[in-house]
Amino acid sequence: MKFKAFLTDNGINLLEKRILPALDKMGKICHLYFTRDHAFFLHNLLNADGVQSVAQFKQQSLFHDYRISSQNDDKIAFCIDLSLLHRALRSILAIYVESRDFNSSGLQIKLVKKLPPHSTQPMPFLTFEAKGHKSAVVQDVPISKPLSRADVQELQLALESAQEMPATLVRAPELNSLQNFVDRMKHVGEVMGVSISKCGDLHLQISTSLITLGAEFRRLMVLGERADRVVGDEGLSAQTRIERAVQRGDAMNVQVSVKHFFKSLQCSLARPDAAFYGIAPQGACLIVIFQFFVPGTRQTDKSISLHCRLPVLDPGSN
Amino acid sequence: MSSPAAVDTEAEGPDLVCELDSVQGIVDALTSVRWKRHQDAVVELSEHGIVIIVEETACLQAKVYLQRELFVKYEYGAHGRPRFGVSLGLFVDCLNTFSVPGRSNILELRYPGPDMQLLLRSVDCPDSCIYADIRTRIPETISWDYNFEPAGSTPISFTVKSAALKEAIDDLEWPGSSIQIKLQPAPPSVIFRGEGHGDLQIDFNCYANTDLLIAFCCDQPISHRYKYKFLRATTSNIPSSVIRDNRGSKLTIGRGGMLKVQHLVSVAKPSTPHPHIDSAGYQQPSRIAYIEFFVKPEVEEDIVNDY
Repeated sequence: MKFKAFLTDNGINLLEKRILPALDKMGKICHLYFTRDHAFFLHNLLNADGVQSVAQFKQQSLFHDYRISSQNDDKIAFCIDLSLLHRALRSILAIYVESRDFNSSGLQIKLVKKLPPHSTQPMPFLTFEAKGHKSAVVQDVPISKPLSRADVQELQLALESAQEMPATLVRAPELNSLQNFVDRMKHVGEVMGVSISKCGDLHLQISTSLITLGAEFRRLMVLGERADRVVGDEGLSAQTRIERAVQRGDAMNVQVSVKHFFKSLQCSLARPDAAFYGIAPQGACLIVIFQFFVPGTRQTDKSISLHCRLPVLDPGSN
Repeated sequence: MSSPAAVDTEAEGPDLVCELDSVQGIVDALTSVRWKRHQDAVVELSEHGIVIIVEETACLQAKVYLQRELFVKYEYGAHGRPRFGVSLGLFVDCLNTFSVPGRSNILELRYPGPDMQLLLRSVDCPDSCIYADIRTRIPETISWDYNFEPAGSTPISFTVKSAALKEAIDDLEWPGSSIQIKLQPAPPSVIFRGEGHGDLQIDFNCYANTDLLIAFCCDQPISHRYKYKFLRATTSNIPSSVIRDNRGSKLTIGRGGMLKVQHLVSVAKPSTPHPHIDSAGYQQPSRIAYIEFFVKPEVEEDIVNDY
């Protein structure tokens, strides 16, 4: 089992400034999964509760001289502590950036087995190495034992089933203000109803025995299946409008945890250019897909993808 | 819906429909009387504005006055003064979700809804709307009447910078339990004294602290003791805007030692005025919410002995 690559400048920037801060908020521990073509950061894929998040990168968008080999079809996966990874990367960058003028080889990342101090058992590490003009710096990030063939297979299957797309996606309102709003909303209750209509309405609501608090965002951009607005629903209240759309089959509704919803919004730390909300078929989960543009264009950057799946609290109600 | 009250309401329209353009200011004002997590508040509506009353164990009462001038629209349609009970914490948390930083937004409040709820909604953006309905309760009767009467012919009062007052009361946490407030005409000064785990005395001398003690009115020495936790409640959640605006708080001691603490909270909109106000030619005479706390003194020991 071998893994070795050099981080590109773009890869360093993307990981350090955007992806790792965002993913760190999703949970401390994640699976890091490398294949011949891709690198994945996966949260909660093997357990049913909690927000699942999938960050996928074409290896070229992070690395150059990417070498991977394993007896399991060149796939390697392990668990890693993201805050340690982030810290190690930041610390090595401080040295690397100072010495990069003399540094032709770049910042190397590789999988190693080492004997830690006071131990007789060699342990696996993900190691960063920067060779400067006069010195070399190494940062070892402890990782779990690489996953067994069966576990990698399970992770791969979970990953494939997490790619299921909703029939309708609506473009989220401006993420910072949505995040701000949900942050305040979470003081009021714990369960949030999320409704998405094919005419581009997103409706969020917390309802308890003491209060109903909601927000309706209308005329959002729709991807996938769409429906025309019904004449005469303009004068209705937000609640009635979405209830009628659900009855007509033009909208779906799920209940999720407010905490999960807020957590997924923290992916905005990765500075996506847009986000889309959708509900998986049969209301299985709420999906939020973050979109990244190729820098300087309005075209989707297909080499990066990030999406979250929020577990539904009461699957029977829909 | 079949009750006669509900029918009346429908026939006559709501008691109150009003619009606010400074949600944050109202959140600040209400937060200043939120001294614990679960508090029941009584809301009283009138043609002059809205009063929110909170009290605790018949020893401490706070009132927030939101005069109609604070609202960009205030349509009052009730007879008498309707009152309803609401959870203060929930009301503030809910209002807070309507406050969008860096953006001016108009919030409409309406009472009562079809089920006697308090209805809130944002009204200025056609493509996004925030709404809430808060269940109200039949208010409990206010357990004691805070008839505040001056102690003598001239009211005994002083006005101190809110920041200095808060700092003094915060410092008195260390001795804790019971705090004596003493005013004396010669030399004119205010003394806060705490005796408990230790002694701490904070003097505001009229001549020495002219920048802190803004006004002073006292013709006879007076001294009363107040429970620290109630005194603390009067300043613990004072909004940062009050400190920033360098405002003063007025303390008055009334008959029987009842202490009245008054703060002024600015509810001015930070950004440019909304066109709605300009077009109506509506002047904002005062954009201040008045906060009043009434603290009962501790029963003096000699009185206790008499019983």
